[in-house]
Amino acid sequence: MKMVIRTDNLHKYYYIGRPEEVHALNDIDLEICENQSAVIHGPSGCGKTTLLSLISTIDRPTDGRVYLYNQDVSGFSDVELSRIRQKTMGFIFQNFNLLLRLSAWENVAFPLIPIGISEKKRYKRASDLLIRLGLEKRIHHTPEEMSGGEQQRVSIARALINNPDIIIADEPTSNIDTESVQKLLKIFDNLKKEGKTIIVSSHDPIFSDYGNVTFHLVNGHLANVRKKE
Amino acid sequence: MAILLPFITAIAISEGIKFQASISVDQGADIYVTLDNYGSNAPIPLEFVERFRKLEGVIKVVPRVVGRTYFANRLVVITGIIPENIPPNLNIIEGKVFQKKGEVIIGKALSEEFNLGRRMMFALSQNPFITFRVVGIFEPGTTTIWSSDMILMTFKDASDFFLMDGKATDILIYTRPGYASKLAEKIQEDWMVNEKSTDPPLRVQDKGLVKRYFLRGYNYRAGVFTALYMVAFALAIPAILVTSGFGLTERRREIGVLKATGWQTQEVLEMVALENLVISLTGAALAILLSILWLKVFNGFFIAQFFIAELGIFTRFPVPARFLPLPAILCFFFAIILTMVGSLYSTWRTAIIPPAEAMR
Repeated sequence: MKMVIRTDNLHKYYYIGRPEEVHALNDIDLEICENQSAVIHGPSGCGKTTLLSLISTIDRPTDGRVYLYNQDVSGFSDVELSRIRQKTMGFIFQNFNLLLRLSAWENVAFPLIPIGISEKKRYKRASDLLIRLGLEKRIHHTPEEMSGGEQQRVSIARALINNPDIIIADEPTSNIDTESVQKLLKIFDNLKKEGKTIIVSSHDPIFSDYGNVTFHLVNGHLANVRKKE
Repeated sequence: MAILLPFITAIAISEGIKFQASISVDQGADIYVTLDNYGSNAPIPLEFVERFRKLEGVIKVVPRVVGRTYFANRLVVITGIIPENIPPNLNIIEGKVFQKKGEVIIGKALSEEFNLGRRMMFALSQNPFITFRVVGIFEPGTTTIWSSDMILMTFKDASDFFLMDGKATDILIYTRPGYASKLAEKIQEDWMVNEKSTDPPLRVQDKGLVKRYFLRGYNYRAGVFTALYMVAFALAIPAILVTSGFGLTERRREIGVLKATGWQTQEVLEMVALENLVISLTGAALAILLSILWLKVFNGFFIAQFFIAELGIFTRFPVPARFLPLPAILCFFFAIILTMVGSLYSTWRTAIIPPAEAMR
């Protein structure tokens, strides 16, 4: 199977050089293949979000390397990393990170602006996705007018708008109710069927048996890797 | 907008005053003669009137007494002039022009403030033994600023009031076209070479010189105001930098989200620049509109006092104002600079850090 993401001796420290230096991640080596669903499991504060940030290139490691489709992206420029995120990745943030002054469809569509797609086409693509995710009545609503579950689905739609190969979701069940969790799992199942690679970080037991591969993080260290045959 | 509003209003008032000064000088005499008392104007003996009349190219010679005194607590301008020489743009809205001793006409603003109507009599504290009777009320024509607090009377009355027997504060000479500067030179030379009949010497100013003096005075005031404003402007940039960039976590988060979803730093900067362009153009346009409102409705309250000496809080005459293209363009320019410098730098600072850090 084709390798999508690989990390090599990955470290991330915060407050580098200061007495209160935090070692968020230490010596992480992992591999995720195409069309796999990977779960990064572990208790709160173990470094799951940091690891997702590094493999999704929205943060830079203190040491070590991140390979994307066997290409070392650790030394890539800011412009190159932006292009990678635009073309290959969709990120679903734990707190959704929707822009409060924009409506649902605008939140979904703004990643298309730099590509030069017209507003009409942006609206069409965004509204199609929102309808697909059951948000046809919320297309023109702002995040403040939506529930947590609805906001999360807008966030998912935004992650999918560029039709990326890799979907990364950080603690996707932490801010939504049980009904929304079931909807989310269904969405992930459909995405998997479409051939997407899904990487989820969660401490929720519902994901303990979800992935093809599960990485257990403890205090910033990779404690265990479990692969499903 | 709040920063630009007083600035554009001040510039408009300054331009309005300069414009009125310019009209006033253009409509006035071609040459003004006084005595030169160590650089200041001093009264000139009336015998010069006849002497100037005989000069070639002279159409009319008008002696005038202009002085300032208090009407109750209001500083007013008294002008003593022969009735035939009253400026043509003065609009008498009530009554008639003074003809006899003791008759005066007063500006509308003064009449309204002191409830002073026709046939009413008054005296002024500087010389309380002379009484005056209002025979007419005038409305300022194009030059509101100089005529609103004015009392016009006969030359003799003004001369008596200011105890200037046999003298005028200045002599106005109207000449045929093309004669003004030559005549001004001749009057000055005649005095220098032949007569030296007065001590202190004559001070001869032609129209161009008077205009330059006027404009220089107001340019200086406008310059001081602009300089003060530049300081405020310089202080506003770091203030905007703090509030728009570093202070607002929401803005940082937005930039982080844009970068995380594939926007490049340059694209984020372009979007912010476009946003700021729209904001600054809207802000500047609103500032100009509000400035017009400030001048029309509030009559330049507070700012006009900076440009017009001894003005009360509430101005009783229409404060002159003029909106020219250049200050308006400057207003747009300042608005753009202010918002661009303030926000682009902080945006760039946020955009070059990893998106995860910006969203944290």
